[in-house]
Amino acid sequence: MSKRIAASFRDPSGFMFKQKGLVYRQINKSYQADYDALMESGLYERLTKSGAMIAHEEVDKALALIPELVYKVVKPETINFISYPYEWCFSQLREAALLTLAIAKRSLEFGMSLKDASAYNVQHFKGRAVLIDTLSFEIYREGEPWIAYRQFCQHFLAPLALMVYCDVRLSQLMRVNIDGIPLDLASALLPNKTYFRFGLLMHIHMHARSQKRYSDQIVVKDVVKAKMSRMALIGLLESLETTVKNLIVKGINTEWAGYYQDNNYSEDAFQAKKQVISAFLARIKPDSVWDLGANTGEFSRLASDQGIRTVAFDIDPGAVTQNYKQVKAKHEKNILPLVMNLTNPSPSLGWHHQERSSLAARGPVDAILALALVHHLAIANNVPLLDIANFFKALGRFLIVEFVPKTDSQVKRLLATREDIFPDYNQSGFETAFGKVYKILETQALEGSERTLYLMERRIN
Amino acid sequence: MHIHFLLKPLAYLDPGTGSFIIQMLAAGLLGGVVAVRIYWKKIVAWFKRKKPGELEDTDPTEVRDELDEI
Repeated sequence: MSKRIAASFRDPSGFMFKQKGLVYRQINKSYQADYDALMESGLYERLTKSGAMIAHEEVDKALALIPELVYKVVKPETINFISYPYEWCFSQLREAALLTLAIAKRSLEFGMSLKDASAYNVQHFKGRAVLIDTLSFEIYREGEPWIAYRQFCQHFLAPLALMVYCDVRLSQLMRVNIDGIPLDLASALLPNKTYFRFGLLMHIHMHARSQKRYSDQIVVKDVVKAKMSRMALIGLLESLETTVKNLIVKGINTEWAGYYQDNNYSEDAFQAKKQVISAFLARIKPDSVWDLGANTGEFSRLASDQGIRTVAFDIDPGAVTQNYKQVKAKHEKNILPLVMNLTNPSPSLGWHHQERSSLAARGPVDAILALALVHHLAIANNVPLLDIANFFKALGRFLIVEFVPKTDSQVKRLLATREDIFPDYNQSGFETAFGKVYKILETQALEGSERTLYLMERRIN
Repeated sequence: MHIHFLLKPLAYLDPGTGSFIIQMLAAGLLGGVVAVRIYWKKIVAWFKRKKPGELEDTDPTEVRDELDEI
């Protein structure tokens, strides 16, 4: 059975579709000239060789989903996990922005222009940002402006500036604004000192004013006739690049990034925990792991270092940033750190609720890691243990989970400021609740602490 | 929006009138800067004309990250 991928409908040049579990891209006849130019100009080779864009192979045209429109069918390299800008930390969004501009500039050298600057066209794959949309190019005609200018400002510049000058948590505005943050909103939120930064003044504040000023006006003829020289276009792209490069977040306040330095278990217990998890992973040999509440990815790396595709989720942008810095420093290819609030995970969004998938819809994976997490969900967020078990069950077959009792200082801290309304929160209550959904395969008390690690497999019912 | 006729018929993004105008303004200013830089380099290069066969000078201290290689 073939089905068009729901998010792929905006561009008439083509679309993505799924057939027998494989993802293809149909390229329509209307895009023929541009596609041929991309392939023949050398730009495709340049961008795929340097790793800036995903490679594809041309396959049988007979696979086409809409044969009357088809020019070519291609099969792009598979991206295992699609993530979204509202799940990226600042550095990930910034890297995606710089990638987009670098590609736009390079395209001009090959006589092409980047017609699309959507943050959703970039994925973090094998440790780096990569453009995934082959249809983002068109033949450059001297005099044309950059058609994706507004999109770039909304998808990249506005969120990055807000994260630097207001608060890193404002990346979440990308979640409610599917086509990037409206520039009038960004302009209103940014502090006055940003008026003294040329790039932000021009590309956000004046841009927003100009949008408002001309919102219901038809452009006068001579403005329309004005052409933008190639040099002017390069100047624009370089200005955006400088503006992005100057955006740096200093000292993100982080709740968890120092956790391993000041937690309450010994170095021995820490090493013991690592050994138990490694042994569990060796037993179940998963291909894919989601580490929920991964902090800086210390335990995620027990999986990713063995070549297991791992996504490391954490609620704290500071921890995710530190994790991402390690990915870059060590050129790690199997781990993807993302910002995720598990008590309110990414929903399905956009047109027909289908443009952006919910977290659960991007699963399930082979194994879930939930280390030092359950007490946060159960006590800080009042979720009953059975509900937590069911949540995990929907995301993966195996579960490596840690139970932290009330006597542990971390739980004591959570209970210090509130009434203890959790009579079932104890080891046997935990085992009873999780035992309804999972088969407990192994139990391992953690030496040097009061914590217990479990390996479980979900029951089929 | 009447700016469409300047753009390809297939352009599916609406560049927005205001975005278009500010872009022309910004690009006009910035293009000038690029032009000055390019001509300045040419002038400097002319004065420091190299012997034939000499390699183009690159800055060895320049840190190249993966984005420069794109």
